[in-house]
Amino acid sequence: MTVFKTFLKVLNKYKGTLILYTVILIFFAGFNIETNDTGTDFVSSKPDVLIVNQDEEVGITKSLVHYMEDHSNMVAIKDTEEARDDALFYRDVNYIIYIPAHYREDFLAGKNPVIVVKSTGDYQSSLAELLLTRYLKLAEFYQIIEVNEDALIEQIETTLSKEPVVEMTSHLDRNQLEKATRYFNFANYCILAGCIYVVCFILSSFKTKGVHKRTIISSTNYKTFNRKLLLSNALFAFVLWAFYIVLGIILVGDVLLSMHGIFYAINSFLFTLCALTIAFLIGNAIANKNAISGLVNVIALGSSFLCGAFVPMEWLPDKVLAIAHILPSYWYIKTNEYLKGLEVFDMDALKPIICNMGVIVVFIVIFIILTNFISHKKQIQK
Amino acid sequence: MKNIIEVKNLTKTYKRLKAVDNLTFEVHEGEILGLLGPNGSGKTTTINCILSLLKYDAGSISIFGREMQPNAYDIKKEIGVVFQEVAVFEELNVYDNIDYFCGLYIQDKKVRKTYIKEALELVGLEEFQKFYPKQLSGGLLRRLNIACGIAHKPKLIFLDEPTVAVDPQSRNNILDGIQTLRKKGATIIYTTHYMEEVEMLCDRILILDKGKILASGTNDALKALAHIEEKVSIEVMDLEETYIEKIQKFKNVEEVSYQNNLLFITYKKGNNNVTELIDYLKEEGIHYNKIYSERPTLNDVFLELTGKELRD
Ligand SMILES: Nc1ncnc2c1ncn2[C@@H]1O[C@H](COP(=O)(O)OP(=O)(O)OP(=O)(O)O)[C@@H](O)[C@H]1O
Ligand SMILES: [Mg+2]
Repeated sequence: MTVFKTFLKVLNKYKGTLILYTVILIFFAGFNIETNDTGTDFVSSKPDVLIVNQDEEVGITKSLVHYMEDHSNMVAIKDTEEARDDALFYRDVNYIIYIPAHYREDFLAGKNPVIVVKSTGDYQSSLAELLLTRYLKLAEFYQIIEVNEDALIEQIETTLSKEPVVEMTSHLDRNQLEKATRYFNFANYCILAGCIYVVCFILSSFKTKGVHKRTIISSTNYKTFNRKLLLSNALFAFVLWAFYIVLGIILVGDVLLSMHGIFYAINSFLFTLCALTIAFLIGNAIANKNAISGLVNVIALGSSFLCGAFVPMEWLPDKVLAIAHILPSYWYIKTNEYLKGLEVFDMDALKPIICNMGVIVVFIVIFIILTNFISHKKQIQK
Repeated sequence: MKNIIEVKNLTKTYKRLKAVDNLTFEVHEGEILGLLGPNGSGKTTTINCILSLLKYDAGSISIFGREMQPNAYDIKKEIGVVFQEVAVFEELNVYDNIDYFCGLYIQDKKVRKTYIKEALELVGLEEFQKFYPKQLSGGLLRRLNIACGIAHKPKLIFLDEPTVAVDPQSRNNILDGIQTLRKKGATIIYTTHYMEEVEMLCDRILILDKGKILASGTNDALKALAHIEEKVSIEVMDLEETYIEKIQKFKNVEEVSYQNNLLFITYKKGNNNVTELIDYLKEEGIHYNKIYSERPTLNDVFLELTGKELRD
């Protein structure tokens, strides 16, 4: 109990910092609600799509193009790759579909020709992607039973017309999900900074040379002491996480009480664990408090910027995103971004989430191993 | 007499430096043992080895008749340590600091409360309970450091230079506190390089240099090692060389020096040395001002044994 009580007393000294991070989070989330309201109406509109067709517009190719034209806004863009990339960047188009030459021929021959796409990765583009996949899946399916091209096309089109596309968007509150994603993305900064800062400072207080020596020579079992200290820190991280979830529900809305909310919560919980292991690593490697606060800023701010916690991921240059892959934040934020466009929670849809979480778990394991390695080395030095 | 600690042939080497070199000594129950030695003589290293904070190369250490080991928690329960450097939580106030360190030994809350109160009284910090370490002066901080080490009422106490850089008021408070602890039955090991403290406080003294014991014994026994009995200094203006040479030939005189109008004479033994000197000065009509006569100090013992001063 002594360790835990003292832990709380020391923690009490750092409450100012925690409150600061939380206020920043509330402020940012509140600010977000403002900006988002203006965007409400375009959320339900059709995606902007460009089709670059190298095939002749006949048969199955024609059917595909028409289907896309019916369900999305076709945009006209200058016929250069550079112009198309610019258009993507400036959001003039959400989704570009490249139909290769001889597509129809190859498809009918059962060669499964590849359709290349480029996307902005946002919600609109995922709508377009949904349309395209739906068409192609059906085409693949009926091709097995229908040999005649006209009959095949007819089959596809009747099936598609029976399933209205509008339904896809009706269940989800896009506005709230967008807010939720932004909230949890920003929480990346607050969890990292809050968790690492507090845990490192508390650890370094307990492990200050003299204080630590006093603990070692005392009649308290050292392993028990370490375990208590670890548990206290973990408990703190858990409370911090739970608090941010409750805060999220208050600020974002009841979308967080749905299936989406559960996944946002799991994702942020895993990330909090990861932040905790980073904190243990730093706390064990460095005792100097000035160095710690510098490092916390670099890590929390740095990875928040690089991984798109403050600005949407799609706005970041590819090179930055490539670097961001080595940071846990990237995988955490990627899941958040993915969640806001997720329709159904079946195994296929959850695969990317599980992958991202798997990467974070790997990070956690690496950090734990490194921490053990460092503290072991330090003991040998003594 | 019961031995509380027995150290046999303790040797500790840092890379190439032999910090502790084949030390053998005992600590008796209820005594204050002084470890006296200049900076770097191995005092702290010796204590750290005894406490199992450091691995040593050779030797054996037993406390309360049992072998001391890192996980000998039943031995550790009875030990209190005040380290050379102040070791407290910056984030906790005086009371909570003592509470934490005492709590590492004493689980019972009520007992702890009375123990903390007694510790606060002992070091005279009752009025500073709510103060944070940053708000304490250097002397008060040292007192807190002591309170944290002894609040759990250990039978065996190690104090590693608890009075370094402490003002006279706090120093007296600390020294009084240590004597009180001994009266209550604690056995104390006290390291310092202030010989005055050792002379005043300790029952027995070990003089260390370069990791070796140069001499050990009671204050008087050690002083007998210095081959001088009395040191006299007199302020005399412009004394001529011939007089100095004459004084040199006086009975019992070991050495005479004259610097900055200060005549400095050491005597091998004997009484009435000063009277004889004054008579001579009067006879010759030499004016003198202040006269001091001193018994030899442990510094003289150290000087005798090593040829260098204890403190520079
Ligand atoms: N961790 C260490 N690594 C290497 N050498 C050390 C280490 N600690 C102490 N020493 C050396 O061992 C010798 C004894 O040091 P120790 O601290 O025991 O002396 P001390 O008598 O306590 O001195 P002081 O009066 O300055 O406290 C010194 O020469 C010191 O430089
Ligand atoms: Mg020392």
